[in-house]
Amino acid sequence: MKRTLNSIIGLLVVAVFAAGTASGQNPALVDAAKKEGGKVVIYGSLESDSMDAVNKVFQKKTGIQVEYWRASATKVMDRALSEYRAGKPGFDIILTNDNPMQLMLKEGIFAKYDSPSAKEFPKDAIDPNLGPRYRNVIIGVLYNKSQISPADAPKSLEDLVNPKYKGKLVMPDPTQHTTTTQWVASLHKLMGKEKADKYVRDLAAMKPILVESLLPAAERVSTGETPIAITYVKYAFIFGKKGAPLDHVRLPKMMGDGHYLTLGNKAQHPNAGKAFIDFFLGAESMKMIAQLGEFVNRKGVYPPLPDADKIQFVEMVDLDKKGFAEKKKEYTEIFLK
Amino acid sequence: MNDRSIAVGRALPAWGGLARLVLFFTQPVNLVFAGIAAIIAFLALYPSFFLLYGSLTDAPLGVPGHFTLRNYVQAYTDPTAYRLILTSFLFGIGASALSVFLALTLAWITIRTNAPYRRLFELTAIVPNILPPILISISWVLLLNPSNGLINVILVRLFGLTTAPFNIYSLPGLIFVEGLILTPLAFLIISAALKSMDPSLEESAKTLGSGEMGVATRITFPLMRPAILAAGTLNFVRAVESFDTPAIIALPARIEVFTTKIWREALGSFPTNHNLAAAYGVGILIIALLFVYLYRKFTSQIESFSTVTGKGFRPHQIDLGGWRYLASGVALSLLTMMVILPILLLMLVSILPYYHVPTWQTWQNLTLSNFHFALENQRVFRAFGNSIFLAVGGATLCMGIAALTAYLTIRTKIAARGLLEGLVFIPWAFPGTALALGLLWAYVDFPIPIYGTIWIIMIAYVTRFLPYGLRAVTSTIIQIHKELEEASTVCGAGFFATFRRILVPMMRPGIMAGWIILATTFMREFSATLFLYSPGSEALGPLLYFLYLDGMRGRVAAIGLIISLISVILIAIAQRLSRWDKR
Repeated sequence: MKRTLNSIIGLLVVAVFAAGTASGQNPALVDAAKKEGGKVVIYGSLESDSMDAVNKVFQKKTGIQVEYWRASATKVMDRALSEYRAGKPGFDIILTNDNPMQLMLKEGIFAKYDSPSAKEFPKDAIDPNLGPRYRNVIIGVLYNKSQISPADAPKSLEDLVNPKYKGKLVMPDPTQHTTTTQWVASLHKLMGKEKADKYVRDLAAMKPILVESLLPAAERVSTGETPIAITYVKYAFIFGKKGAPLDHVRLPKMMGDGHYLTLGNKAQHPNAGKAFIDFFLGAESMKMIAQLGEFVNRKGVYPPLPDADKIQFVEMVDLDKKGFAEKKKEYTEIFLK
Repeated sequence: MNDRSIAVGRALPAWGGLARLVLFFTQPVNLVFAGIAAIIAFLALYPSFFLLYGSLTDAPLGVPGHFTLRNYVQAYTDPTAYRLILTSFLFGIGASALSVFLALTLAWITIRTNAPYRRLFELTAIVPNILPPILISISWVLLLNPSNGLINVILVRLFGLTTAPFNIYSLPGLIFVEGLILTPLAFLIISAALKSMDPSLEESAKTLGSGEMGVATRITFPLMRPAILAAGTLNFVRAVESFDTPAIIALPARIEVFTTKIWREALGSFPTNHNLAAAYGVGILIIALLFVYLYRKFTSQIESFSTVTGKGFRPHQIDLGGWRYLASGVALSLLTMMVILPILLLMLVSILPYYHVPTWQTWQNLTLSNFHFALENQRVFRAFGNSIFLAVGGATLCMGIAALTAYLTIRTKIAARGLLEGLVFIPWAFPGTALALGLLWAYVDFPIPIYGTIWIIMIAYVTRFLPYGLRAVTSTIIQIHKELEEASTVCGAGFFATFRRILVPMMRPGIMAGWIILATTFMREFSATLFLYSPGSEALGPLLYFLYLDGMRGRVAAIGLIISLISVILIAIAQRLSRWDKR
């Protein structure tokens, strides 16, 4: 009887441990996190629906509460750096895109943590300091299928400067929207410097309708106000899911930005932070985020967007403060004069 | 004369100064002045100090830097800045003038005439102040864009036109939308002043043979000058510093205004250049202070605006006869533009899975999922609770300070009273996000642990929006004749009794107007809140902002409509409390 009981207890311990590791969780870390107060504070720019879906499962599995402060990447950086410099960092984890993450890294606000979940990411998607680039936000060309048939739609970036599309293109203002400044400045990675320089001038000569950011560009295509947009490819899925007649141009290569999540070196809940990072980079969480339209980097996980697995991702160049200022000035001359 | 008497003689002026100081503080009104001045100076100067310091240094706040004038050189030596200031000036004047014109028309019809449904119109006119300005701008883009704006589509189909008759992407379009956004604030200030107006001058004019329209143009409107100027001043500065409407309407039209430049070079740069933003803020501060000065100059002959005297009165109501239906028609058409069309558009957006020009197919795909989200989500509930607390508590606190400040700056002869009014405007001149950073720096290490709590947001609101409350109440206190206070003092009442029993009841329309402006603004404020809230103290403004950021217009519209409903209930209660004819 005693042996049977011991076997059952042994099996239960193994089962609990297996369940823990399958979801990317280290039970010891979770216990330590609960002793710290059982919560983790995250400042980030990941869309709230994606974050809510992940948090719900994480909280259910670990009992650790997630407090998420959502803002744009620049605001996340501004607040994190201001609090850190004042000696009162309120965050345990920062979760945002490459450029601000690199800047915050230079300011020395992060701790290095090698999550066991990182091994499921391609080696070229792992930054030695920030960890895995968990998702890419990819900029491409979207069009409204009820206004332009797939046969008449542009087939390449070069097609966008065809006079027949004049007045039909919307894009974020590269003199104002930082990611678009970066995208235009990175075009040489797709077409070489000489061709890219000419292309930027040709694109400006098309007098595209300029908007505030990538979302209003996609919204204008979904409402039918403008038929073609340079914007995030994921919006084809996000708006398409609601019924908007959107498709993306199958460009051979597309540029975008990588996103990371990293532990703060003055985190008040470091163990909860580590437990969250383990879970977030795990298979279950990455699949949930991909199902909501994100291009995650975990091997073999794709968003439910046609030909998503065929997209070749090219990371945009990093610009520093001076680089951004120079490019914005240059594009003001080209796009606004 | 011995040494001692020489010493006493020297000391006497010093003792005299001290005696005057002691005497100064024995007067209750001076004590109140000192208290209010200390509160306002602290609220305004403490965070602004960090911003002003930031504008004169080459490093971000918190990092040791060097003194520099580079930010001012960069901001004000570029010739384009002045061209854009001129565009902003035209935009500001246009939007402000339109808002005052619409507000004056609506206020006159709803307060001074017997037009049918005037009470309903009065309540409805405030609704646009409840909606986030960005939603109103988007609504008008969906109605009047030249490609598929709903009104344009209908007119093109109805009249067989070849091109769309309206183009929102133009300077007139920009002025039109901003003017509509700004109208409720002007309406509240002007209608409060109209409610406080004694009709004796109007009646004298009528006795002397003037017609109703003559009375309105020659007596009523000139007497409204302080309120018109107050509304015009506030709305001009609001338009000049606004970014949302220009971003949505001016950018596609390739019209640049001053805030576009601030955004490109400072707030939207990477990393954000708060030092430069603060240097630009100082420029806006000078414009705002100039307008405060002009306002004070234009209303310095305050006795001539004092129409509320010791005699009992009921504001004069004009019987329009058969014309009253036309007046209602005018009010209805103005409210259609200001409220009904944008609200209808929001209702449509809230029940469509994604926005598009409706077709027959559309009606089969309508959904209530956005309202389900709003009514079932815990986070939305918490945000509503926080925002109602901030709106009611913040507006009440703000109006308490504003009423006392208005009294002290208008009614007393205390030296430096004008400075007090100037102080109020300092934080208002900085862009919202820049001020939020100043507040963060001011309070992150404050001895009382308010950073990371809801109280930091309350302080931010009072600091930033006190000018709204002050303007609303100042324009009504100007109308109250001094004889009422003098009578109270003669009867032996002290400062507090006179203020509480005489002035507060007389200023009630202005206080309530300011309270409504502030409460509705606080219900949806986001630019300062976004930077200061912590996950537990999330208010509706940031919630709407991130939903918008995530492309969920349907949810934003649904929550926006619920906010409107709650705010209308709050306003109805507030108006009932302030109505002169119910007392």
